[in-house]
Amino acid sequence: MWRLKAVRHKVHPQCGNLEEFQFKRREYEKALRKARKDQLLVSKRLLQEEGDHEGMEITAEVLSKKEVVQLFRGIQQSGEERVNALRDFRRALRHKETQHIFVKLENSMHLLVGLFSGSNAVWQLEAAHCLHELSHSDEPSIALACLPATPYLLTYLSGQSAKFTELCLYTLGNLTAESEAVRKQLLAQGIVPALASCIQSPHAAVVEAVGYTLSQLLQAKEAPEKIIPSVLESGVTSHLLRLLQSDSEFGIGAAIECAWCLHYIISSNANTNLLMVQGAVSKCTSLLVALGGAVASGTTTEGMDLVISPVLRCLGNLLANHGMESCREQMRDSRVLVALCAFIQGFLQQRPSVARESLWVINNLTADDPVFCSAVFYLNLVPVFMQLLPFSKGINIMVLRLLCNIAEKGPVYCQQLQQREIFSALHATLRMAEPEVVRLSLELLHIIVASIPQVADEFTEKGISALEAIQYNSDEEIRLRASYILDHYLHKHSQVNTPAV
Amino acid sequence: MMLQSEFIRFLTEADADIQEFPVLPVKEITTKLNTATANHHDAKDNIRSPFTFTSQRFRLNKEDELFEDGDIQRHLYLQDAITSVTDDTEKPKVSEFRCHIAGCSQLFDTLEGYEHHYNTFHRNVCSYCKRSFPSGHLLDIHILEWHDSLFQILAEKQNMYQCLVEGCSVKFKTSIDRKDHLIKIHSYPPDFRFDKPKKSKSQDKTPHRRDVTMEVSGAVQPRPDDTGRMESMEVCPPEKAEPAMNEDSSGHVEQMKPRYSYKVPATICFGQGSVRGFRGMKKKK
Repeated sequence: MWRLKAVRHKVHPQCGNLEEFQFKRREYEKALRKARKDQLLVSKRLLQEEGDHEGMEITAEVLSKKEVVQLFRGIQQSGEERVNALRDFRRALRHKETQHIFVKLENSMHLLVGLFSGSNAVWQLEAAHCLHELSHSDEPSIALACLPATPYLLTYLSGQSAKFTELCLYTLGNLTAESEAVRKQLLAQGIVPALASCIQSPHAAVVEAVGYTLSQLLQAKEAPEKIIPSVLESGVTSHLLRLLQSDSEFGIGAAIECAWCLHYIISSNANTNLLMVQGAVSKCTSLLVALGGAVASGTTTEGMDLVISPVLRCLGNLLANHGMESCREQMRDSRVLVALCAFIQGFLQQRPSVARESLWVINNLTADDPVFCSAVFYLNLVPVFMQLLPFSKGINIMVLRLLCNIAEKGPVYCQQLQQREIFSALHATLRMAEPEVVRLSLELLHIIVASIPQVADEFTEKGISALEAIQYNSDEEIRLRASYILDHYLHKHSQVNTPAV
Repeated sequence: MMLQSEFIRFLTEADADIQEFPVLPVKEITTKLNTATANHHDAKDNIRSPFTFTSQRFRLNKEDELFEDGDIQRHLYLQDAITSVTDDTEKPKVSEFRCHIAGCSQLFDTLEGYEHHYNTFHRNVCSYCKRSFPSGHLLDIHILEWHDSLFQILAEKQNMYQCLVEGCSVKFKTSIDRKDHLIKIHSYPPDFRFDKPKKSKSQDKTPHRRDVTMEVSGAVQPRPDDTGRMESMEVCPPEKAEPAMNEDSSGHVEQMKPRYSYKVPATICFGQGSVRGFRGMKKKK
């Protein structure tokens, strides 16, 4: 995970003004969320050399047009001057204005691509860096200006130099993220087979870069129709699955990218039969078990949630698409349930989204499978779930759903729940603010008292006041359910509160 | 319960094949059974079960809301913006509690807070005039003195006004005598809130109430003369109950009354009780 290490300093508060920093962070996150809602969430990576982050701090100021032209002249010269000019240029191209000026100069891109595709290795490398800077721009016009370079970028993927290949890959990945027009050209030029072959590289950095580029392709809006089918045909998925290991020599960075690629494929409407045949469920399960062990023993590495999250999503959606019967053979390891609970406990405070996604997977595991439902009791996991009931934003809703899944299996299951103090949990959830929580609590209560009417008394003592109060709730769905329970299961106790006058 | 250490042990052991676990016997429950095995009451009403839950697996699209936070983390990572500085926006949110009484709908941080509110404002409510009292004892006295027609008749002949203090069994001819007793003997303040004599003026409050809307969305408007101080614990009578309440299966009017005890809150409580609460406590979102 060289990337996380390399740039940590960048996001630490410079002057110790934590509040301001956090405020800016929050604004930044808000912008990302809005972009996601509009389906415009695009991120690019900027590859930095190890010695480079110092250079980042003392970036040259924006060049004037004259200075840019001057540099360009320098590039046009042959010899030593060219190399120096290219180096200066690379730094200068970090500025948007410089990028604009450059691409508008006559023959500028033509020259750059010429150097990139030429026979001088030094010039080629420098030109590649310049192209990389340009690819990182968020202006569509700049990305389009880079299109002449793409056939060469693709060609060089099968070259020998790992570092160079890596650079080309990130440049391609950035361009891919930019627009459908760019992707169309890349697809026509054969990016998918090129990536399928490149992913077999023995170099970790290259593999991670392939994963990144592929993830950009797969995340595109038009991916389900135009990209995913050819990706499935290319055979790259077996490599993606192969790389889903926690301690592989390719590092967690590669695993992260591959996991996200698989998530994008599986969460589209694509036919995932091929992935099933290739053992996707089994791979996901064993990775989750391994990561669960790490989380439970406190040996998490930074960014582990970045790989856990997409793998959870893959498993959840595979279960949803195929059902337990198809998945059962690949899911014989019951430790996956414990791993999911370890994630919930381990990440609840720092990354509640991981807890939420884990609960969703558990819902899909327990929905139609008495084996996993029984395992919940056998492994004594009910208290873990009950501890989550105070938490909103989807967490307690999902917990109630999976408890309903379990209770629905029959009276024996209800008995087990009731013995684990489910009623005292319901006393609280029946009074919570979210209507969905109250509604699901009533559903759960109903399943239990309908299955084992004898336990109704145990609920009535403390719980009946909640149901009575619900009679006056503004939500009709909730009122109907509460009154139904009162009428059919608790009516024997209607005399309890009648006072003696 | 399975503690962290047990998790570790379990996860690092050799494969535990799930097929080896005992599977509890499954038996489907049919909730609609209730109308079939009905007593005469149900058969007449022919109520269908309103419950709709069925266990199901969920497929989630990549744009699903549930994935939002995880996606943001992914993109922060791509943009090299991951930070180890703890960020409070990511903490899990704790559920709040909400008063069920439509129109009240106040929010509380804790279950205790909610229960205190409920017991204080919604529990001991007179079903005749909808005023609420802090205890059953005071409610009983209120009902007796205000709504029992027999009371007035008896009061002419004997001492009927009982002391408000529980355990003090003295009775008085008039409410004024009782009030004196409370002040002299029990050191009560002269303006004790729960000792308002019954006046016809109290009926005049009703016109104000008609201005207050009873929307179930709970848009409570403060009364025109609300000073924010609590004049009395009485809660003014609400408008007629929500139509939905009347559409009970049996169609009987008395279904509007609390079904388990005449003290259980009837409907919405407006008035100083809730308005005061509105200012002091959390507003409904």
